Amino acid sequence: MYTRPLARLIEHFQHLPGVGPKTAQRLALHILKRPEAEVAALAQALIDAKKQVGTCSVCGHLSADPLCDICSSPKRDNGIICVVSDSRDLIALEKTREYKGKYHVLGGLISPIDGIGPEQLNIKALVQRVSKQDAREVIMAIAPSVEGETTTLYVAHLIKPFTKVTRIAFGLPMGGDLEYADEVTLARALEGRRELE
Amino acid sequence: MYLKSLNLRHFRNYAEQSVNFTAAKTIILGDNAQGKSNLIEAVEILSALKSHRTSRDRELIHSSQTSAQIVGNLDRLDSNLELSITLRANGRRTVALNGLTQRRQLDFLGKLNMVQFSSLDLDLVRGGPDCRRSWIDGLLVQLEPIYAHILQQYNHILRQRNARLKTLKAGVQNTSGDLVIDDLALWDAQLAIAGSRVIRRRDRVIQRLLPFAQHWHEAISGKSEQLQINYKPNVSGDTDLNNLGQSTPEAIQSQFLDKIREKRTIELYQGTTLVGPHRDDIEFTVNETIARQYGSQGQQRTLVLALKLAELKLIEDVIGEPPILLLDDVLAELDLHRQNQLLDAIQDRFQTLITTTHLGSFDAQWLNSAQILHIKAGQLSTTP
Repeated sequence: MYTRPLARLIEHFQHLPGVGPKTAQRLALHILKRPEAEVAALAQALIDAKKQVGTCSVCGHLSADPLCDICSSPKRDNGIICVVSDSRDLIALEKTREYKGKYHVLGGLISPIDGIGPEQLNIKALVQRVSKQDAREVIMAIAPSVEGETTTLYVAHLIKPFTKVTRIAFGLPMGGDLEYADEVTLARALEGRRELE
Repeated sequence: MYLKSLNLRHFRNYAEQSVNFTAAKTIILGDNAQGKSNLIEAVEILSALKSHRTSRDRELIHSSQTSAQIVGNLDRLDSNLELSITLRANGRRTVALNGLTQRRQLDFLGKLNMVQFSSLDLDLVRGGPDCRRSWIDGLLVQLEPIYAHILQQYNHILRQRNARLKTLKAGVQNTSGDLVIDDLALWDAQLAIAGSRVIRRRDRVIQRLLPFAQHWHEAISGKSEQLQINYKPNVSGDTDLNNLGQSTPEAIQSQFLDKIREKRTIELYQGTTLVGPHRDDIEFTVNETIARQYGSQGQQRTLVLALKLAELKLIEDVIGEPPILLLDDVLAELDLHRQNQLLDAIQDRFQTLITTTHLGSFDAQWLNSAQILHIKAGQLSTTP
């Protein structure tokens, strides 16, 4: 049906997350229609990104330099470290532009089913960082799933001797109606209630 | 509540079938393997989003198709609902209420309430603890839909903890050197928190069911035989059975953790979790004799019937309207005395769907007021 190089291209696209056979075919046919220079630029961009982007030596965030922009910024507060499970979460938090501290990316969550234990995660570096750098606070910003909860407890346990550990609140989304919230979220929100000031 | 109609597409052996229920009692008559139980199963899935016969959606779909649909029109006191579920061979499901797709299946649970009674239910007395656990869990989900989430969370933690125990058994050591903290303890803590929620809810529902079950048991057996239902949570050991309901979540959690500590060596050796509500049991006793061991066949039948009637009343009590009763091939097995007890209990208040292979053993009262549907090879008709 497809000539061989085209079939190979479609197959590679299909390996990408969120891409099924139809989208893969569409992308491949689109590529064939573009000028060769543009395709070469795309190919080069893929290789460059793969070759150059590594992780920041301090926080573990994706970065082309040994030290990422956030870690090297003098404007960021060294005293607060926000712990997230991966770079996507960090980017989401950055978009709020509300947070002026630094980050630490664990690179996953503890999940014995998938063979991921604490030793596979970027936890040791965090403990060293917290014990050396004098951090006033570590904020745990990890999703409240079963694995997230275990990871939060594990990390908190290790760094509590050195500094104050907090976690982000869970509950109702802003602008959300109470009556449309599900019971699980509501129960969680009730648990985390706090006194009005 | 009243199920007005049911529409099946490519479900089990049905190609396309609509059925309107026109009387409080509907008798579905047909030979074996024509699709009687499949019809009952469809109602069960609308209610609980699962079937007691299979856990694979593939089996629910007509062999020549890739998807199946069940649609039911339900009258409730406060609303009319169209419940619809689409099953796919790949296991993905879509549920909709009044045509609106629901993002979370939790919102779909507890809309159609039912009590199912089939010949398999004698396993409640004779079968293993897993039969009784899935019975009590099914009842709880109907009364408190959030329980479905609680149980799912518990099972998830259980699987993770088992995986961790397996690696410990295999001798995979924590290699992070100076960071040696016991991450198994974290799974213990999570298991205890989620597990105590399961235990408290199970205990509570049994306490609520008990008076109804005792009432019916006495009425059916016609004697002053005292039925007792004892919840035997795995974490409690042999003590403290009675005051569990008054225990705080913290007290149950600490008992849970004590038990885990006690079993730690064996758990590490076996590589699996031995402590928790996944090992609970429920014990039925009649006059302080354990029904499973000493009850005669007739006594066991009386007991199961009493439990089912108790379920009906408890659900009616909590929901505020009568649930639907599904009798799958079980009525003919009851003698006339018990049939009449059942008839008296449900009268016309509970919509009842009954499957049977022959009408011979039915009381005339049942037949007079019932709608009779004939079924043959996945086709329903009002005439033979």
